[in-house]
Amino acid sequence: MTDYFTFLGLSRKLGIDVQELDRRYRALSRQFHPDYFHNASPGERRVSLERSSYLNDAYRTLKNPITRIEYLLKLEVGSPQGSDDPQSDAAQLKHGTPLPGRKPPASLLEEVFALNEELGEIREMRDRGAAPEEWQARLERAQQPIEAKRIAHEAEIAALSSQWDAAIDRDAPLDHRHAILEALGDRFLERNYISNLLLGIERELGVEPSALGN
Amino acid sequence: MAYSSKVIDHYENPRNVGSLPKDDPNVGTGLVGAPECGDVMKLQVKINPATKVIEDAKFKTFGCGSAIASSSLATEWLKGKTVDEALAIRNTDIVTELSLPPVKIHCSVLAEDAIKAAISDYRKKQGAAAAAVDQAAQPPA
Repeated sequence: MTDYFTFLGLSRKLGIDVQELDRRYRALSRQFHPDYFHNASPGERRVSLERSSYLNDAYRTLKNPITRIEYLLKLEVGSPQGSDDPQSDAAQLKHGTPLPGRKPPASLLEEVFALNEELGEIREMRDRGAAPEEWQARLERAQQPIEAKRIAHEAEIAALSSQWDAAIDRDAPLDHRHAILEALGDRFLERNYISNLLLGIERELGVEPSALGN
Repeated sequence: MAYSSKVIDHYENPRNVGSLPKDDPNVGTGLVGAPECGDVMKLQVKINPATKVIEDAKFKTFGCGSAIASSSLATEWLKGKTVDEALAIRNTDIVTELSLPPVKIHCSVLAEDAIKAAISDYRKKQGAAAAAVDQAAQPPA
């Protein structure tokens, strides 16, 4: 049983040298490319095709820092049903939670709910024909706390990622490593709420949505 | 993805949108969220103190059409039910009624969680109120 990190010859660290990742990806693509196997037996052709597609999934998942963390969480913490098939794990990543059974804090839900209500009121204000300066100023006020939260979150995720890499380097005990993953998982639980809210605000402001979601 | 006609109906004409007084001892409030998509759902029930029947239910959901429809349907079902009957509502009942596709099942789970959270909040309030009465009834030391 392999995983994306092992398949690409990398340790399970979050700080990945992207150039090194690209280099390994290209080398392995050449090795497995189905074009080199068109004279091979059907069995060998099938294997080369499977490996190529696994390689592509692995590369795509590890290249993006967000899906990389989500994948690590799946690998290390696992899904509740204990699916250990990395192929299906890749598919689950799109809709699954990193740490099943954990819930975002009530305070965050309250904040998100209140801000959504505020957005609704601003929308009504605009529809009633209020002056643009008026509702835009209110929208920007609503944006500040959540934007600050996003920035804090990103910093926390970066710090936890470095802690994880340091723990791997010194082969830290399992419970210590798990504590780091749990903290990372909690940040990821909150991530979609923050992204959605900011997307909603940006949409109202008429700004092109930035690459917040994945 | 195509929504079923029932989902569209609830989405376009949501039942019981709004809120009930949060501090009313006969009102239970449940606020839940789905980390998969970042949806938030608030569901409230008002329980008649004499009959213990849910006499009003309101919701407000920020999320996709299925989450809105699931909570709208839940408030419709809740009215007239006792607390125990309300707790017997299963997310699968909502899935069946709204013909939700597999990727939207978590929206129905959210609605079931919201019902449970609202009732648990109501019970907590009732417990706290009973304790306060007990305390008030204590003779001064």
